Amino acid sequence: MPTETFTNEVIDISSLPKYEEIALQHPHSDYWKIICINLSVFLGFIGIGAVILLFFINEIRTHAFLITTIYVTLAVILFLLFRASFKKRGYAIRTHDVIYKSGIIAESTTIVPLNRIQHIELNEGILSRVFHLGSLQIFTAGGQTGHIHISGIPIETAKNIRDLLLKKLDLTENQTTDPTAS
Amino acid sequence: MNKDFSKPQRQSAAGIIVMATHTFLKIVKASFFIFVLAFIKMPLHQIFYVLAGVALLLVISFFFAYLWYLKFTFFLDKEKQEFVVNKGIFNRDQVIIQLDKIQQVNINQSILQKIIGVYGLKIDTAGAHGEEVSIRAIDETSAYNLKSHLLHKKVTIENQPEAETAAQITEETPFLKISSWTLFKVGLTSNYGQSLALLAAFFYTVIYEGRQLLDSLKIDKNTIESTVTGMLTIVTAFILIGVLLLVLLVINMVRTFYKYFELQISQHKDTLLLSSGLIAKKNTLVNPAKVQITKYSQNYFQKKLNLLNVSLKQAHFGESKKGHEMQGNTMEIPGCNTPERDELLRMILAKLPESNKTFIPDWRFLNLPIFFKLVLPVAIFIIIAINVPEIKPFISAAAIYLIAGVVMIYISYKKHCISISEEFVVKKSGIWDISHEIITPAKIQAITTFQYPWHKGVDVGHLCLHTAAGQIRFKYGNYTEIKEMVNYWLYQVEHHNKNWM
Repeated sequence: MPTETFTNEVIDISSLPKYEEIALQHPHSDYWKIICINLSVFLGFIGIGAVILLFFINEIRTHAFLITTIYVTLAVILFLLFRASFKKRGYAIRTHDVIYKSGIIAESTTIVPLNRIQHIELNEGILSRVFHLGSLQIFTAGGQTGHIHISGIPIETAKNIRDLLLKKLDLTENQTTDPTAS
Repeated sequence: MNKDFSKPQRQSAAGIIVMATHTFLKIVKASFFIFVLAFIKMPLHQIFYVLAGVALLLVISFFFAYLWYLKFTFFLDKEKQEFVVNKGIFNRDQVIIQLDKIQQVNINQSILQKIIGVYGLKIDTAGAHGEEVSIRAIDETSAYNLKSHLLHKKVTIENQPEAETAAQITEETPFLKISSWTLFKVGLTSNYGQSLALLAAFFYTVIYEGRQLLDSLKIDKNTIESTVTGMLTIVTAFILIGVLLLVLLVINMVRTFYKYFELQISQHKDTLLLSSGLIAKKNTLVNPAKVQITKYSQNYFQKKLNLLNVSLKQAHFGESKKGHEMQGNTMEIPGCNTPERDELLRMILAKLPESNKTFIPDWRFLNLPIFFKLVLPVAIFIIIAINVPEIKPFISAAAIYLIAGVVMIYISYKKHCISISEEFVVKKSGIWDISHEIITPAKIQAITTFQYPWHKGVDVGHLCLHTAAGQIRFKYGNYTEIKEMVNYWLYQVEHHNKNWM
């Protein structure tokens, strides 16, 4: 960095851009369908297992009503929890960072500055492909906890985001290596 | 031997002995109890077979060590700035390490290596874990040459004769030296937990293996157990506890001396050279720019003795996808006094952190731990105690637990704070060992803030700063202030574009 253009002014912290006031993008509504299908498959397997048990073991049959109630409440709770979590999720890409908000009870927001991204992954599952959705994973050197996983982005948008982030990655990498080279 | 390592080369031939011994010891360690059994159980004239077996093992170890020696080559690719190692007896493995990904280079010497007169060299990378390279036998000058080659990225521009560089490292006057007396004090006052765990593990193996031995020798277990329980009166119990404490202290002392004997730190160009060890001397080169978290801690005794433990945490992360998180590889420097700590901090952080603004947690910090660690277990204990007559006399223990717990949680609440200045973030925490963790905002990889819905009204929230060497958490702070700080850190990280490694 040339010294003559270098200035060091006092920063007014309150005038900095506020991450908490960014309007967040929500996962595509089709993603809720994927969640529902996944949940139904999961519950279906458990249900089939329970029915088989009920059918073959006589001792359990007397508790059939109890088991059904537990099963139904479990299903309802799971659907409600996933619905709540689906509603809470949101993401935003700013010029210098990626923001992801999630959480069922506690609302947590993770922010990854673009110049700290190590690599990016774009995943498409079978179901996601049917609905033209994809999920983006953004990794940092901060290990497991410092990484962002955004699911349910329309595939075109996801690809655009990925390309955008990769372009920025190259850019920042060049910037950081330039001063050492000169 | 060629000195610039540009051509593939083998390690020192003495490596065969080192490798063979290593393999042999591994096998022996794994089958130690079988050997003991064999010696006890076998009739005398068959012991020959056992010895023959041992000899065979030795021969096999040497054979494999020889193959391994033949196949193990390494060289420095100057154009690509890579260090390449070829190895593998049956399969061909090639490990390629980019020079700028190298975290640290360790030169060690075990007893055997000392006898033969070779050194071991280990390369730690920031990248995938388990990929680190270890060269088991290399002579001293080559070791130091290779080390300086590996740690200086522009190998080609180096004009200095290599012999001089090697000499320089040894001549460097250390700016920090830990004396034996200080180590003695450190041994008395720290790391109780680790030594306790070690002791427990030791006793567990002794009891477990002893039992197996007894089983196989068909000695009546009951007689032994009854004599042991017969010996356990209250007096002997107290003596036993006293002896255990003494053993604990001694183990602590031995561990401290073994690891940190003659610890000294010297500055070599822009890296720090740490060397320590009683039997096996360990040299570690650390680049201050690669230290992610600088931490110093002190407990009550150590405060009185003016002792501090400093640890430097470096990035060490595996592929986060593999599921297991890597623990930061940490360098410990026990037993500094305050000026030495300041010197060290200045060396690593360029200046001493001054605390500008300190944030303390809300009193709600106390709620959850008190409920989950005190109220809930005590309630369960009391319910059980009321119903089970055998436990009833111990019900007063709950009160002691409750009081001790409240005091500890209150102390942890009082000590939990984070102070922030323009260039540093310092987090203080702890109950007995009070630690200060220092990072510069440039080391932040990602930031997470979160809040429980029932804390929205009172404006309380949590903060977690992810770095490459672990997380720094601040709990139950003022959420508005936290958000303000997060915006500021983001600005710093994104605006300055400083390298974190």
